[in-house]
Amino acid sequence: MDDALLILPMLVPLLFACLAIAVLRWRHVQAALTILNAAILIGLGIALMVVVWDERVIVTQVADWPAPFGITLVADLFSAIMVLLAAIVGFSAAIYSAATIDDRRALYGYYPLFNILLMGVMGAFLTGDLFNLYVWFEVLLISSFVLLGLGGTRAQMEGAIKYVVLNLLSSIIFLTGVGLVYGMAGTLNMADLAVRLRDVEDEGLVLVVSMLFLVAFGVKAAVFPVFSWLPASYHTPPVAVSALFAGLLTKVGVYALIRVFSLLFAEDQAHVQDVLIWVAGFTMVTGVLGAAAQNEFRRILSFHIVSQIGYMVMGLAFFTPLGYAAAIYFVAHNMFAKTGLFIVSGLSHRLLGSFELKKLGGLAKHSPEVTLLFFLCAFSLAGLPPLAGFFGKFALARAGFEAEHYIIVGVSLAVGLFTMYSMTKIWAEAFWKPYPAELPGDFQVRRRQPGMLVMTIPAVIFAALGVAMGVAAGPVFELLERAGEQLADPSGYIAAVLGGEPE
Amino acid sequence: MTSSTILKTTSLLLVTLFLIFSFFLLWRGHDEPGGGFAGGLVASSAFALYTIAFGAVGARQNLVIDSRLLIGVGMALAAISGIPSLLLGDAFATGRWADVEIADREIHIGTPLLFDIGVYLAVLGVVVTIVFALAEEED
Amino acid sequence: MDIALAVLGGFAAAAVAPLVVARAGHYGGYLLALVPLAVFAFYLSLAFGADDVAAVSWTWIDALGVDFSFRIDGLSRLFGLLISGIGAIIVVYAAGYLKGDPKLGRFYLFLLSFMGAMLGLTAADNLVTLFVFWELTSVTSYMLIGYKHEYQASRDAALQALLVTAGGGLAMLAGLVLLGIAADTQSIAEINAAGDVVRDHHLYVPILVLLLIGAATKSAQFPFHFWLPGAMEAPTPVSAYLHSATMVKAGVFLLARVNPSLGGTTEWTAALSIAGGATMLLGAYLALNQYDLKRILAYTTLSALGTLVMLLGVGTELALKGMVTFLLAHALYKGALFMMAGAVDHEAGTRDVRHLGKLARAMPITAAVAVIGALSLGGFPPLFSFIGKEVLLEATLENEWGAFWLLLAVVAVSSPLLVVAAGVIAIRPFFQAGGEPPKHPHEAPPSMWAGPGILALGSVVLGLAPVLGQGWLIEPAAQAVAGEEFEVRLALWHGFNLPLAVSAMTIAAGIVAYLFREQLRALTWPVESRVAGTVGPTRGYEGFLVGIKRGSAWQTRKLQHGRLRRYVATTALATVGLVALAAFTNGGVPLAFDVGGVHFYEWFLGALVLGGGVLTAVARNRFFAVTAVGVVGVGVALIFLVFSAPDLAMTQLLVDVLTVILFVLVFYHLPGPMLQARRGVLVRDAALSLAVGATMTLLVLGVVHADRPTDVSEFYAAAAYAEAFGRNVVNVILVDFRILDTLGEVVVLGAAALGAYALLKYRARDPEGDEQ
Repeated sequence: MDDALLILPMLVPLLFACLAIAVLRWRHVQAALTILNAAILIGLGIALMVVVWDERVIVTQVADWPAPFGITLVADLFSAIMVLLAAIVGFSAAIYSAATIDDRRALYGYYPLFNILLMGVMGAFLTGDLFNLYVWFEVLLISSFVLLGLGGTRAQMEGAIKYVVLNLLSSIIFLTGVGLVYGMAGTLNMADLAVRLRDVEDEGLVLVVSMLFLVAFGVKAAVFPVFSWLPASYHTPPVAVSALFAGLLTKVGVYALIRVFSLLFAEDQAHVQDVLIWVAGFTMVTGVLGAAAQNEFRRILSFHIVSQIGYMVMGLAFFTPLGYAAAIYFVAHNMFAKTGLFIVSGLSHRLLGSFELKKLGGLAKHSPEVTLLFFLCAFSLAGLPPLAGFFGKFALARAGFEAEHYIIVGVSLAVGLFTMYSMTKIWAEAFWKPYPAELPGDFQVRRRQPGMLVMTIPAVIFAALGVAMGVAAGPVFELLERAGEQLADPSGYIAAVLGGEPE
Repeated sequence: MTSSTILKTTSLLLVTLFLIFSFFLLWRGHDEPGGGFAGGLVASSAFALYTIAFGAVGARQNLVIDSRLLIGVGMALAAISGIPSLLLGDAFATGRWADVEIADREIHIGTPLLFDIGVYLAVLGVVVTIVFALAEEED
Repeated sequence: MDIALAVLGGFAAAAVAPLVVARAGHYGGYLLALVPLAVFAFYLSLAFGADDVAAVSWTWIDALGVDFSFRIDGLSRLFGLLISGIGAIIVVYAAGYLKGDPKLGRFYLFLLSFMGAMLGLTAADNLVTLFVFWELTSVTSYMLIGYKHEYQASRDAALQALLVTAGGGLAMLAGLVLLGIAADTQSIAEINAAGDVVRDHHLYVPILVLLLIGAATKSAQFPFHFWLPGAMEAPTPVSAYLHSATMVKAGVFLLARVNPSLGGTTEWTAALSIAGGATMLLGAYLALNQYDLKRILAYTTLSALGTLVMLLGVGTELALKGMVTFLLAHALYKGALFMMAGAVDHEAGTRDVRHLGKLARAMPITAAVAVIGALSLGGFPPLFSFIGKEVLLEATLENEWGAFWLLLAVVAVSSPLLVVAAGVIAIRPFFQAGGEPPKHPHEAPPSMWAGPGILALGSVVLGLAPVLGQGWLIEPAAQAVAGEEFEVRLALWHGFNLPLAVSAMTIAAGIVAYLFREQLRALTWPVESRVAGTVGPTRGYEGFLVGIKRGSAWQTRKLQHGRLRRYVATTALATVGLVALAAFTNGGVPLAFDVGGVHFYEWFLGALVLGGGVLTAVARNRFFAVTAVGVVGVGVALIFLVFSAPDLAMTQLLVDVLTVILFVLVFYHLPGPMLQARRGVLVRDAALSLAVGATMTLLVLGVVHADRPTDVSEFYAAAAYAEAFGRNVVNVILVDFRILDTLGEVVVLGAAALGAYALLKYRARDPEGDEQ
């Protein structure tokens, strides 16, 4: 049972990708297959959650070679949560794709790549092997690069090139780190590494090598000062792709940061903590200021992704169960709010034909449904209670103050104000301001198209999840606190992988 | 691309040799240097050569199957090779072996070979897809 | 349970409001008014019920100590009655004021949500519950102030109000979190019952400062007062509501709420007295040079808020008694006055007093309301606010704090100025001749005078018979603020005493000032306009907005410049920098290594790879560069061979060959000669590359030096044939030991091929026409 549960999240998308390749000419069949795939992944995510609910860490040794010799797949609460979240994002993005991706993109492999991307994400969340993690990062990188460039407009290619070059650089740094770690500890299994790196004579060397992982995953997560690839590229592809990336890619980087620094490099935290806090602070501030300078819907959102990553890194930097819990909560909230917002940007584009704020307007008057969806997602992002974003902010503040990191908490709260500022900028321009020209003649027709309805569904899902995560913050945090405790004390994880009893 | 008769004739010969060699590499990979990856690369070199000699259209026809579909088939085969053990209650891709008698010789084959064939096909599909696309750009 | 129902009822009503209005038009407003009325009745029933305090609580987030809990004591009750009572009046009033407005449904949606938020805020027992509603008031008021959002001015005013109050809210959130940590509970009742725990905590001052910022922004205390007049962009019913009973009183409420646990210290007294006093004076003064009825009223609200905060700062029994009395009095008359101003605007078409005159004849009821309201504003007997002012003076005079004379001076200057404002509001538009209003005025419809009439009547009745309000309303509220029991006895007539004398003097001074108001204006306006134009907080806010724009634009130019080469350099620099920093912190990395065992052909291979690398870097055309890369590939393949990995060597060689073939295929598509960077850039990049290379080399050497257990590779060698039935260990690793890696890499290749195919073949036809 565990064996299947851990491998299927990778196998299912791969097989669906292969199926989609067989039916490239039939866009609707491909879309249906992709939605079905994501639905199955949600089911698998739920099943994983059920199995690990009582803090059981489940493990499978691929090809039956005992750890650390083969490749181990592992799921603790953190992994299971991430799998489920990613599946939800994938599902919604698949629905949105079905309504918006044209025949040509479908013919040139949009859906197979979409599924392969999901495979990579799932693999990254479930693997217990450092090199295997690298492999999944590659899967992610290549498939996302192609999705980004698919369509071949000049803007898209420029964004995609920056994306792929910087991320390849990160991969090289990651791979170097893997090699060095293997050189020091002679193993690639993460649980085994956790044990053996502790015994490496020169602790300082471990610390130094850990910095490579910080940079490598930092690029993936888009932290200061290596986030440039994200705002350079996210506004260029079709909205379906932006939305999918906003929900998944950087979060994999954050996952890797949390996993590696809570498990492998947990011994010597003082220096890492300093670095992480600085990184977190600068990421928040530069990201949100970047957003303030923009006047295009998706560019604003892109910079906000960066800013919000800072909060997640901040949660990690405390190295406390509550800090981890807050970070994960923030990840989840952000996946929902940000993906939702990208979809809203697509809805407004469909209605009014632009992403430029100055060419938008009047949505509050003419499209109450889009207005409500934006309001819920945007103000959740801005941390308005009782929406989800507030509790993320609150939990981080609480975790930070308890750990007596006053300044970073202050920074994070101040950044919240700027977040609100740029969300209200979109609000005032696209929703409140009267539409600058004659409303498109077919506006009401477009508003009632069946395609529009399908496009709206995912936004509704995310808005509802944002509300639900706030209202049901109690049970959510109850779960996340346990996930946080597992991360803070990885002995259960290690024992599950290597066999034997927890220390 | 220029294509002289000499090039065409020699390349046909070479293509055949390359393909045979690639099967050989695939087959013996488990024990000697070789394997699905190397085999796939050699096989695709054959098609690359053929493309250079005869153009992409002809090469495509000779491949029989659409090159992108070949990638899919290869990946699917590689993935599926691990499923039997899963169904039998073991971990994914746990090796299953059987002794098969072919032409009076006892041969030890198992799911890893199936996996390697998948790799072979996928690699072949990958390289020829790119080669064809590039070559068709030329035309 | 019924408490929660009452508190959240506003939200429920809000949710159905658009539907109700869609069906019933503005009559829907009358229907919706039943909800606040029911809440009002509920609060009344609590006031006359058996229990002094009603509470209800649900666990919300156990892990964070957050409860969703309400506890209605005397203070909450006073606020609840004002919010729901005036709320009902406003809802009815708006039905008349906004009759026929197509957005009326949304208006009620926001207005009733706002009411719900205020009720929740004032009834909350948990710090987080309180904050949730606090923020909801900010956002709903944002929506209300920006109600006329077609206009830039409305949008700007709404944004200003939101940024100031939400900014303060964030400070307050920090304060609340710290307070929860310091008190080890987030229940307000428990915190207030804990005595000196918070006052003695080492975080007391930060907590106080942060909460003060929150309260000051919300209650428009100096220097955060500037958003309040801007908020006049809102429709008048909203202004009336925000100013009388709700939004701006929230900050005062917060301070009153935490007074038992945080109040009474020197810091508290000093901060609140100074902020309050300054605001009181400033508000009263700023009203002087205004001619817009609503702006005059807005500034007098500022003054009143200052008064309330100052009284909280003084903090004596008498002061708190005065605070509660004044709060009630102000809510009554300010609500009435704003609605009066709205009625004038509605009927006469302007709010500028210079264009209004002799309205009393056309609008007798509105005029009566204006007169009563103005007399209250000026603190004339026998109105209720006179009693409030008497207690205020009494509290100021008996104050033991050394600077009491300062406060007295503040009161002595502010009060006459308020009398001037009162005169301008009531006498000028209603009884003096002159002015040509755009519309021909006539009396407002009953929906617009009934409510203010009730409030004005309340001012009179409570003034004449304060006993009607003291036992059940004022006393419990004052006790809740103080956190202790005492008796409140109010009377219109106190006998001849010092407060009465001061009061009489200020009123007299006020009347004189009113008569000479033009001279006063001529004296002050030049200075005021110059100060406001240069250093005022409005300028500060504008500077802040401009600063954000400039700063963010500057930063974007620096960080997001769009040049890939520099992005790569940044990444490299970050890598080297972090590694160096860590090594430095750690005191260096071990570098003892031995080159004695290196064979000469290994040196050769190393040189080959290195040479290839250097050649690639310095190559001036692509073909040469690719050849050089090929050399590196061959070198690496040879290294694999030397270290007995023929499989890898062969694969590497094949990949190398294929790369060259592919390159030949694309060669003709590439642009001409490679661009050459400037010399400085080249030097910089070369230095950086060398630094990266050196870092990696040192790391590798450091790791080689470290212990190296290798049981994994030993296991592979042993198990490959024995258990995995293959003599070729590399292949067994690929297809068995680490099969998942291979599967993943195959997928990578597949994705890459699909991508290459798509990118080569797919040309977008019309980038703008893309569906999104």
